Amino acid sequence: MAAIVDSGRRRAGKAGSYLWLAAAVAVMVLPLVWMILASFKERDEIYTVPAQWLPASFDLSNYAAALAAVPFGNFFLNSVITTVIGAGIKMALGLTTAYAVVFLEFPFKKFIFGLTVFALLVPQQIVIIPNYTLIAELGWINTYQGIIVPGLASAFGTFLFRQHFLTLPVSILEAAALDGASHWTRLWRFIVPISAPTMSAVALVSIVSEWNEYLWPLLVVDRADMMTLPLGLTLLQNNDGVTNWGVLMAGTVLVTAPVLAVFFALQRRIVSGLTAGAVTG
Amino acid sequence: MSVVPATNLNRRRLLQLAALLGGTATLAACGGPAVGGSGETAQAGATDWAGITPAKEITWWSNHPGASKAVEEELIKRFQAAEGIKVNLVTAGANYDEVAQKFQAASGANNIPDLVIASDVWWFRYMINGQILPLDGLAKHLEFNTDDFNKTLFDDYNFSGNHWAVPYARSTPLFYYNKKVWQAAGLPDRAPKSWDEFDQWAPKIAASAGVVPLGLGKGTSWAAWWFCNILWGRGGAYSKDWTMTLDTPEAIEAAKYVQKLIFEDKTAAVTAKDQVADFGAGLTGCTLASTGSLSGILKAAQFEVGTGFLPEGPKGQACPTGGTGLAIPAKKSPEQQLAAAKFLKFLTNTENTAYFSSNTGYMPVRTSARDGATMAQVYAKTPQFRTAVDQLQTTRVQDWGRVFVPGGDKELTTALEKIMLQQADPSSSFATASSAIEKSFEQNVKSYL
Amino acid sequence: MSTMVENRRQMGITAPPPPLRRRRRWPWKSWLLFLLFAGPNVALLIVFTYKPLLQSLYYSTLQWNIGSATARQVGLGNYIDWFTDPTTAHVVMVTVVFTIATVGGGMVLGLALAVLLNRRLRGRGAARTVVVAPYVLSGVAVGLLWLFVFDPNFGICAALLRAVGLASPDWYNDPQWALLMVIVVYLWKNVGYVALVYLAALQTVPADLLEAAALDGATPFHAFRRIVLPLLGPTTFFLAVTTLLSSLQSFDIIQAMTQGGPLEGTTTMMYQIYQEGFQTGRAGYSSAVATILFVVLLLVTFVQMKYVEKRVHY
Repeated sequence: MAAIVDSGRRRAGKAGSYLWLAAAVAVMVLPLVWMILASFKERDEIYTVPAQWLPASFDLSNYAAALAAVPFGNFFLNSVITTVIGAGIKMALGLTTAYAVVFLEFPFKKFIFGLTVFALLVPQQIVIIPNYTLIAELGWINTYQGIIVPGLASAFGTFLFRQHFLTLPVSILEAAALDGASHWTRLWRFIVPISAPTMSAVALVSIVSEWNEYLWPLLVVDRADMMTLPLGLTLLQNNDGVTNWGVLMAGTVLVTAPVLAVFFALQRRIVSGLTAGAVTG
Repeated sequence: MSVVPATNLNRRRLLQLAALLGGTATLAACGGPAVGGSGETAQAGATDWAGITPAKEITWWSNHPGASKAVEEELIKRFQAAEGIKVNLVTAGANYDEVAQKFQAASGANNIPDLVIASDVWWFRYMINGQILPLDGLAKHLEFNTDDFNKTLFDDYNFSGNHWAVPYARSTPLFYYNKKVWQAAGLPDRAPKSWDEFDQWAPKIAASAGVVPLGLGKGTSWAAWWFCNILWGRGGAYSKDWTMTLDTPEAIEAAKYVQKLIFEDKTAAVTAKDQVADFGAGLTGCTLASTGSLSGILKAAQFEVGTGFLPEGPKGQACPTGGTGLAIPAKKSPEQQLAAAKFLKFLTNTENTAYFSSNTGYMPVRTSARDGATMAQVYAKTPQFRTAVDQLQTTRVQDWGRVFVPGGDKELTTALEKIMLQQADPSSSFATASSAIEKSFEQNVKSYL
Repeated sequence: MSTMVENRRQMGITAPPPPLRRRRRWPWKSWLLFLLFAGPNVALLIVFTYKPLLQSLYYSTLQWNIGSATARQVGLGNYIDWFTDPTTAHVVMVTVVFTIATVGGGMVLGLALAVLLNRRLRGRGAARTVVVAPYVLSGVAVGLLWLFVFDPNFGICAALLRAVGLASPDWYNDPQWALLMVIVVYLWKNVGYVALVYLAALQTVPADLLEAAALDGATPFHAFRRIVLPLLGPTTFFLAVTTLLSSLQSFDIIQAMTQGGPLEGTTTMMYQIYQEGFQTGRAGYSSAVATILFVVLLLVTFVQMKYVEKRVHY
C-alpha cells in the first residue's frame, strides 16, 4: 500500500520535474530565439503592435548593414588575440606562482600568497583611473598590451592551482626530485600533465572573462580597428536617430553565435572544467 | 587553523606588508593631477600663427552624428585632395557622452586627437579643464569667415570673450506629426501654433484616432532639452547666468503644465525608450524630436510625416539649439593645431556645410549654405526640412545651469523624470536639482573661472 | 586548508626539500628561484592593483575634474559629501537590493536547478548545457538582447503578457521594475554557473547516506535539509564569496540596459563610481565612493569568512 502511494507520488514528482525542466530551458532559450528572429526583421516588422513573431523573410540585410557599419572582422580578430595571449599568460603566471607558494622554500611565501589572493577583493573599477593614467603615459592606448597587461596578474588561478597542488600525491614529486629534475622541469613535466582538470577550469574562467571584458577596453581603445567584440557591438547603437533593433540584434547574434558554437561543441569538457575548479575550492 | 591564509599574518609579516605598502605609497603620489592653485584655461593669442607650418597628418574624434560616417569620409577625401593633409577619422564612441568621457580621461598628450566633437553640454567642461583652444586667433589668421555662421549657433561657444568651438552637427527640437492621424481627427495640416491650441486638438486626436496624442522623450541630453520649449515659453528658465531660477512661479507652472498633459488630460505619455520609434510605429500622434532624426523618421514611418515649429507658450516662441560643435585640443603642437584649424575651416565652408546638412538633416550652420543652391534642392524635395531651418531664427542660447555645470543636465533630467513619471511635486524636485547643480558649480566650475 | 599544509609539513612531505647543505651555501638561489616563479605575478599585482589602490585612496582626498591637470586638496570633503548627499541612501538601497537578490536569488535558484538536474531525467545533460550557456556570453550582448525582450511596446515579454490579457510593466520608466529587470537579466546570465557548481557538489553526496535516511523514515525534504545542505556548506561558502564579488562589480548589464536609470533606480555604488568618475568627471568624489565600497567589501568578506569558519570547522 505504502509502496503504491510512494510510486504514484514519485511518478507525479517526476512529471513535475519534467515540467520545471522544460520551463527552465524555455526561459534560457526564448530570449536567444527572439534575438535571432529580430535580426531578420525589417524595421517596420519590429516596430509593430501587436508584436510580429516571425520575420517575413530570412534575408540577411540587417547582417549586411551591421557588417558595413562596423569592422566586425577586426573585432573578432582583436578578441581572439587579446583572449589567447591574455588568458595564456595568466595561466602560466598562476601555475608558477602557485608552484612557488607550495613547493619552494621561501621565508615570506604565505605572505606572498595572501597578497595574491587579497587582490581578488579589489574591484576593477577602483583602480581604473590610476591604471588608465599609467597606460596613457606608457603610450599603450590602442595597443594589445594596453588591453591585456593591466588585467594579467593571476589571483583566482593562483588560488585554485595552490588548492590543487596541495592535494597532489607526493610520490610523483619525490620521484622527480630523485631524478634530479629542476623545479622548472618538475612543474611543466610532472605537475602540469596531472593537473588537467584544474587547468581547464582556470583556462575557462580566464577565457570567458577576457573575451567578455568590456569596461577596460572601453577606456583604452578608441580606434574601431582595435576594438574587441563587446565594445564594437555598442558602436551599432545609433544616436540622434532611430534605434534600429534589427541591425543591433544582428550584431548581437554575430557576437554571441561564435561563443555559443564553441560552447556547445566543447560543452562536456567545459562543464566538467568549470565544476572541477569550483569543487576543489 | 583559519580558512583564510591572509589572516595568518603575524607581527613581523604585518611590518613587511607595511613596508611594502609604504614603498608603493611614495609611488602613488606621482602621476595624476598637480595639487594646489586653481585651474587655468588655455590662453588666447599665445601663439603667433604666422610662422607656423601646418602638420601633414591629423586625427579627428567623432561619433559620426546622424550616421554620417560616409559623409565625413567624403569630406576628408576632398580636404586631402585640396590641402594635402591627411585626416584620420576615429570613431571615439557611439554618442557625444562616450566621446566626451574618452576625451576627458585622455590625459596623455600623445593620446588626444587634433580635432574633437564638443557637444552643447560638454564643450564648457573641456574649456574649464584647459583642454581646448580658443579659436578666434586661429580664425583670424586663416581668414575663416565666422560672421557667416548662424549667430545663435556660433555664440553658443562664446565664453569670456572667446569662441571655443565652431558649430558642426547642430540641431533643434522639432514638432513631428502623423498626417494620417491629423486627417482622421479633422485637423488642419499644420502643427498647433501654441500649446493652448494643442490642448484643444488633443482630445479630438485621442477620440478619433485612438492613439496617444503626444509622445514625450526622456533621458539625459534629451528631456531637459525639449522642456526648454515649455519652460521658456512660459517665461521661466533653468538659470540666469550661474544662478538657478527653477524656484520661480513660471518654472513651477511649466512643470505643472506637463503634469496636466500626462496625468489629468492624459493627452501625452512619456515614452518607454525612444519617442521617435513610438512615433514611427504609429503609437503616438505627434512628438518632439531632434531635427537630426528627420531622415530616420521619414525612412521609418509608414505614413506621411508633417513637421512644424514647436508650439508657443503664453510668452511666445521658444526653441533651444543642441547637437555638437568641433573643438581643437589645447595640448597639441601649434603645427597640429593649425592643420586642424585648416580642416575645420574646410569642413564648415559654405559648400561642405550644405553637403553635410543635406545628407544628414542637421542644420546648415552657415547663412550662405542655408540660402544656397544645394539646400534649395533639399527644401524642394523634403519640405519638412525647410520648417526646421526656418525655426532656427527663433532659437536662443541655452541656460548655463544645464549645459555648463558638470552633471547639470543629468540633475535636471532626474527632476523632470520624477515630475513626469512619478507625478512628484515640481517645486521639491526642482529644489533638489538646483541645490545639486549649485554645489557642482561651487566645486567644479567656480574655482576654474 | 592550512590544516592540510601543517599536516604535510609535519609528515615531512612539503615539496621535495633541496639538500640543506646547498641551501645554506647559496641562500640567494632560493630567493632567485622564488623570484623567477612568483616575481612576475607579484610585480603585476603591485603595479596594477596595489599601487593604483593607494593612488585611488589619495585621489579620494582631492577635488579633481578628470582630464584637468590640476586639483585641490579637500581632505575628507568627498567622504562628507557622500555621506550627506540625499541620493546616497537611495544608491545604497539599490546596491543592497541588487546584491542580495543576485547573490541570494542566484544561490537559491541555482540550488533548485541543480537538484532538478541531479534527478534521473531524460535530457538532463542537454538541459544542463543550455542552462549554463548564457554564462559564457558577453554582458553587453546579453543586456542588449534582453533590452529588446523587455521593450514594453515591441518586446516578446509585452507580447506574452498581452496574450494573457495583461499590460506590460513599465520596465524602462519605473525605477522598481527597472531594478527587477536588471536583476532578472543578471540571474539569467549567471545562475547556470551556480547550478553547475552545486550539481557537481550534489553528485559527491553518497547515495547510501540518503538511502539510510529514507529507511529511517525521513522525508526527501527532511533528508535534504539535514544531510545534503550541511554537506554543501563549503560549496555554498565558495559560491557566496565568488558571486558576491562578481555581483558587486557588475557593470556591463547595467551599462547596456539602463545606464543607471530611470531616476537612478539601477544606480548601484559600482555604477555610481563609473558615472561620477567618467560621466560627471568628478574623479576625486568617484575615488571616495570606490574606497567606501572597498571597505564595505572587505568587511562583508571578513564576516562571511568568520561565520563560515565557525560553521565549517565546528
